[in-house]
Amino acid sequence: MFAEPAEKAAMPAAVREYVLASMTFSGHWRGSLELAVPIPMCSELAANVLGLEDDDEMATARGPDALKELLNVTCGSILTTLAGDQPVFDLSVPEVVGMFPERWKDLLQSSDTLAFTVEDVPILLRLWLGRTS
Amino acid sequence: MAYNVLVVDDSATVRAVIRKTLDLAGVEVGEFHQAGNGQEGLDAMKGRWVDVVFADINMPVMTGIEMVERMAADGLLKTVPVIIVSTEGSATRIEQLKAKGVSAYIRKPFTPELLRSVVDEVMGVARG
Repeated sequence: MFAEPAEKAAMPAAVREYVLASMTFSGHWRGSLELAVPIPMCSELAANVLGLEDDDEMATARGPDALKELLNVTCGSILTTLAGDQPVFDLSVPEVVGMFPERWKDLLQSSDTLAFTVEDVPILLRLWLGRTS
Repeated sequence: MAYNVLVVDDSATVRAVIRKTLDLAGVEVGEFHQAGNGQEGLDAMKGRWVDVVFADINMPVMTGIEMVERMAADGLLKTVPVIIVSTEGSATRIEQLKAKGVSAYIRKPFTPELLRSVVDEVMGVARG
């Protein structure tokens, strides 16, 4: 699975059966990170990580958990890349919820959002930073 | 030599990945125990010998840091090496953790080779 940058203008105006993973961070900076992906991608992600078939029951069951961990790793990597390896951050425990259509529109309209495609499937990533120092 | 391992992470996926990576790294695992937060981790070590603990930092109920502090205050558990496995990359945080008694730190994502290297280093130098 490989994410390629995409133009937000090329993203669909609405999507169905997506979930939203989100987490917050505080410390050197405060902010949040959100990732919107289609539900089947969660089980595919879990299958890739665990070495299972996409339609394996365990991959389906572990899908949301795998997505949370992807967001967790992404957040740690982004913060270290932006702030360096000295500042300390406190990361929240990620959450995954079903995504309402309005939220996709909000994300698309936000200047903090980046668009990607994974095998031509659209996903959105929003990083909000409220710097405290 | 086979190690009795405890993995403490609120993600079942991560626990499974650590187990799989230990196998890929050629680390011989005897008993493998899992816990979803620091309190469960402490409970898992009651009446059970664990050679090494892998723990995340951010977990509900009890964090990995709180668990390490409780272990350091226990006459028996303070000798059990703890390897923190986390997404955070702060060198400052790593130094803070080591000052609390953490034996080593592995940043996610990690390779089997790194995991093996850290385990070999930690198990060659006992805490206590």
